Amino acid sequence: MDHAQLIREMGKIVGPESVVSDPDELKVYETDGLTIFKATPDVVVLPRGAEEVAAAVRLCIRERIPFVPRGAGTGLSGGALALEGGVVIGLNRMNRILEVDYANQRAVIEPGLINVWLTNRVISDGYYYAPDPASQTACSVGGNVAENSGGPHCLKYGVTTNHVLGLELVLATGELVHIGGWTPDPPGYDLTGVFVGSEGTFGIVTKIVVRLLKRPEAVKTMMLVFETIADASATVSGIIGQGIIPAAIEMMDKLSIEAVEKGTHAGYPTDAGSVLLVELDGPRAEVEALTDPVIAVGRENRMREVRIAKDDAERVLLWKGRKAAFAAMGQISPAYYVQDGVIPRTQLLKVLGEIEALSRKYGLRVANVFHAGDGNLHPLILYDHRIEGQAKKAEEMGSEIMQCCISVGGSITGEHGVGFEKRDFMPLMFSEADLGAMGKLKQVWNPDGLLNPGKIFPTSKSCVEVGAAKKSRDIGYKPHRIEKEGLAQRF
Amino acid sequence: MAEAMTELAKTLEGIVGAGHVRVDGEARRYAVDGVAPRAVVLPGSVDEVSAALAACSKAGAAVVPWGGGSSMGLGGIPQKVDVVLCLVRLNQVLDYEPGDMTSTVQAGMVLSEYQARLKSQGQFLALDTPDETRATIGGILAANVSGPRRIRYGAARDLLIGVRVAHADGRVTKGGAKVVKNVTGYDMNKLYVGSLGTLGVIVEATFRLYPIPPAEHTWVAPFPTAGKAREAIAKILDSPLVPSAVELLNQSAAVEVGRRSGVVPGSGGCLLAVAVASIPEAVKAQLEQARKLGKNAGGGDGHMLDGEAHEKFWAAVRNFDGGQNGGMVLKGSVLLDKVADALTQGERLAEKHGLSVAIVSEAGTGIVRYYLRGEAGVPDRFRRLAEAVVPLRAFATDAKGSLVVLHAPPEVKPSVDVWGPVGEVFPLMRGLKERFDPGRILNPGRFVGGL
Repeated sequence: MDHAQLIREMGKIVGPESVVSDPDELKVYETDGLTIFKATPDVVVLPRGAEEVAAAVRLCIRERIPFVPRGAGTGLSGGALALEGGVVIGLNRMNRILEVDYANQRAVIEPGLINVWLTNRVISDGYYYAPDPASQTACSVGGNVAENSGGPHCLKYGVTTNHVLGLELVLATGELVHIGGWTPDPPGYDLTGVFVGSEGTFGIVTKIVVRLLKRPEAVKTMMLVFETIADASATVSGIIGQGIIPAAIEMMDKLSIEAVEKGTHAGYPTDAGSVLLVELDGPRAEVEALTDPVIAVGRENRMREVRIAKDDAERVLLWKGRKAAFAAMGQISPAYYVQDGVIPRTQLLKVLGEIEALSRKYGLRVANVFHAGDGNLHPLILYDHRIEGQAKKAEEMGSEIMQCCISVGGSITGEHGVGFEKRDFMPLMFSEADLGAMGKLKQVWNPDGLLNPGKIFPTSKSCVEVGAAKKSRDIGYKPHRIEKEGLAQRF
Repeated sequence: MAEAMTELAKTLEGIVGAGHVRVDGEARRYAVDGVAPRAVVLPGSVDEVSAALAACSKAGAAVVPWGGGSSMGLGGIPQKVDVVLCLVRLNQVLDYEPGDMTSTVQAGMVLSEYQARLKSQGQFLALDTPDETRATIGGILAANVSGPRRIRYGAARDLLIGVRVAHADGRVTKGGAKVVKNVTGYDMNKLYVGSLGTLGVIVEATFRLYPIPPAEHTWVAPFPTAGKAREAIAKILDSPLVPSAVELLNQSAAVEVGRRSGVVPGSGGCLLAVAVASIPEAVKAQLEQARKLGKNAGGGDGHMLDGEAHEKFWAAVRNFDGGQNGGMVLKGSVLLDKVADALTQGERLAEKHGLSVAIVSEAGTGIVRYYLRGEAGVPDRFRRLAEAVVPLRAFATDAKGSLVVLHAPPEVKPSVDVWGPVGEVFPLMRGLKERFDPGRILNPGRFVGGL
């Protein structure tokens, strides 16, 4: 089937106005939130319902064309790239809230729904949807399901997988099926649990049953200000060590504070070495009783000052600074490369020290803004893409940071996904047998490998690559240094 | 076959040592639904588990993984049982860093021993499952056992962050990591939780832990009808209260729990129990609030339980067995606003079939456990038990849920569908089984659809 035919046939399924094929318009779809990688699809279709998704998938299967689901395109690991061209299935138009059932604490939504819209819809009735990625005003819940997204509040409330009970989806065979449901523990294997976080390689979600939580009675947001990262880190350990699990503990270093202040004027102290954003929530008596102990831990660790949000407006402003942190980097650097490693909390200081050493070694600044409570780091490596070789240096430094996280028993990604970006780092964490087991799982869901090819699994020959339909196009990807040195294959 | 089996037993002895293979009479104690294994092997290391599985695979011998044996009633009647692979010698805590609130433990460790270890650091594994002095970590995960505190902390799937599994061919793989947040690769943890050992044998687990709350108390109160209790539950769940358990017991369950715990629940109707875990002042404030909401809905004043009374009450609830001897245990999962109906319908249906029923339900998660019994001496009581499964399952299905038989007498099991239908997604499940255990040696016949 040639390009024109494909456009025509897809037009019959979704309507000609819902097929994107103009080269300029396709540029929108050539990258996701991680803009250093690009791959252009041949065609983008924008279905309005599950039947259209299924029909588009069946056409792709019949014609052996790779197809890639895409939500809002805010992903940070190149997960929505059409690496082999083919068809991108954009779910943006399927963005309705289909059902809200407070008595059963459930909502049924379509995948293209913007994350925060769900909370906006139910908050006045005293409910909310807990997973809150920093991009929640832009990202789609379908994308959150694919990536198993987290957010600041997952320290206490868990990530996407803890809030999704059932899915309607189009399998890689084009079949429309339902997995899980409205109630816990459906008999058989936990297909929903396995699906969430499969990064768009197991199927295309068309409906999602999520858990709604009751809004906490009280919320207290505090900014604890420190001279050093070490004092802030010790405070994080101290709070957790007291048996307190705040709704969120976010840390920002001096450089992040500087960027955020320039960008948002949220009132962050630019002369501080580090701030912690600590949020307590729950029944009022509990929140009130835990406030002093949190502050006391800060004082024990030479906290300079504490600011407590007096009202919702102040609280929103404090969070605005944190949630705008990535975007604010533009204030201090032309480009940045964000990492997503996770480390055991007790290794925080050690790993931050190593990142600082790497920063000196590579001559690149690093801003740290991250989920300190669960050890999910987000070092932002600042570079200037206009200076020859800097992007490559940033990438190399990123790979060293990932190795550092693994060396202390951590993980290379906490919420952004492996996608295309980190696929060749998988062997650092998993043996050939481990990846083999994951490969078997993929074979069950995606036997032809036509669905979102080239993601998650390493390309190195020694590892089991499953179901690649054809060889990846060269999209300007340079192997990482550790891969060239053979370290990526040491298992 | 007998000769081949003897040879396999010898091979297994070579792997684990002669003292760790049991045959004949000793092996018969490990019968599953009346089907006795020819050998029981107790490996002492992951390598031995791996080698034993590889040997069984080679011999085509069916393997039943076994922890403490407390969930062995779950599942269909096995197609065959050649070797029971008992993991109780793998009982070490491999890693525990209190500052990280994570820990790695071997699958054969008994839950209560693990909890004792964690308690020394003021932490716990948030799985308050029954039979804790016998049930093992691996068994709890494989059978996906949960307890009343699930409403607050989630179930095994929410707490398991890393896993090591020995596969049918002896290969050992891991999933996850020792960090609480991780999306590197597929979430293999979810694959094995609740898979009843049909895809691999869990040998190690890494958990997210929680701090033991400073205080946990309970308010228990009788309600004249399940309808009134339903109103109270709806109000409590729609309030800012953060309960650590919300349990609704029908009258016969309440009487039994009262008798076992020595905590007198009051008289008549069903019993609602609400636990709150927090700092003492917040616990008291919340339970007072629960009492108010309950009374407004028509409940009794009830009692506040703390200390030993609280502990005894919840031990009796989670270990409720209603006298399994000759009885049948079902686990339904229904919509939250159908839990109270599940009690009234359950009682009505039991009566219609000439059976007695105790019902213990988690009103905050929708998990409903039915403990059904026929009067001894009634000749067709087993038929009645088998027949009761169908309408109870229909009720759960109508309530957007499901129903699984957790335990049934050998006279009943052959005539009931233990798991119920899984429908259009069965091919995916069969696909998983075919890929992970192509020789069908792991628990053949015990899982959904005869997998």
